[in-house]
Amino acid sequence: MDIQLKRGLLDVCVLAAIKNEDSYGYKIIKDMKPYVELSESTLYTILKRLEAADMLTVRSAEHGGRLRKYYRITGAGLKRIEDFRDEWQEIMSIYQFVTREDERHE
Amino acid sequence: MNKQEFLARLREGLSGLPQDDVAERLTFYGEIIDDRVEDGLSEEAAAAEIGPVDEIVSQTIAEIPLPKLVRERVRPKRPMRAWEIALLATGSPLWLSLLIAALAVLLSLYIVIWAVILSLWAVEASFAVCSLGGAAAGLWLVCRGGGLPGLCMISAGLVLAGLSVFLFFGCRETTKGALLLTGRLARGTKSLLIRKESAQ
Repeated sequence: MDIQLKRGLLDVCVLAAIKNEDSYGYKIIKDMKPYVELSESTLYTILKRLEAADMLTVRSAEHGGRLRKYYRITGAGLKRIEDFRDEWQEIMSIYQFVTREDERHE
Repeated sequence: MNKQEFLARLREGLSGLPQDDVAERLTFYGEIIDDRVEDGLSEEAAAAEIGPVDEIVSQTIAEIPLPKLVRERVRPKRPMRAWEIALLATGSPLWLSLLIAALAVLLSLYIVIWAVILSLWAVEASFAVCSLGGAAAGLWLVCRGGGLPGLCMISAGLVLAGLSVFLFFGCRETTKGALLLTGRLARGTKSLLIRKESAQ
């Protein structure tokens, strides 16, 4: 898959993983695992990128006697997911057009 | 490898990077290991699931921009003493010129690589333009009654068109190779900075 496309998809996946509730690194990886494999180093890069783009915020909270970082989606992050859904409708239309052309030649 | 060993190896591998970056990454991986342990894994299994430290180090170095690495490399680790500043100022004609020379060599390498690519594409473009021009001029000559020279021009145009098609694929592959090479050059330069820092 094209690297830029994959990067964009993974960004949205991570945002989707924290859309409903604040989450932390390991849980994000676990939640995404049934859909897409993500290494810790890739997740770190994505989280930093999304934080720099103001799509999520980070806070530390105590958990079991240690500090754990929680990630919360922002308005910009939610908008990115909405934009992705709109873009995807367009991509799906193109996909349907492309596959319909294939069927005609079979 | 338990958590402490994993983090110590990671710290060692990343020692040439900006210290705030290293601390943040160590916290991140430490948390991930703790969470896996909380999930029922042993520290060793948790560290193993994250993957080889060398891979994490390579990926991290590739992600950090070269100017940031250079800034970290040249930033003094402690306040400089007066005699060190004096020595630095006195030696500046030597170290500054050497530094400029090293940067110039790197820059010239980039320019040479991309000059070759640019030349190849220029040849490709000239072949394509000449093939069209040759064919058009040949047709014009044939229409004006110059049958033999016109046919020769058309043939030359077709030969050039064929060559330009072959050259197009060559140029494309060479450009891909140059992209890979410049990427490796950047990674090599970064690794050099990291290795020098680690060796200190």
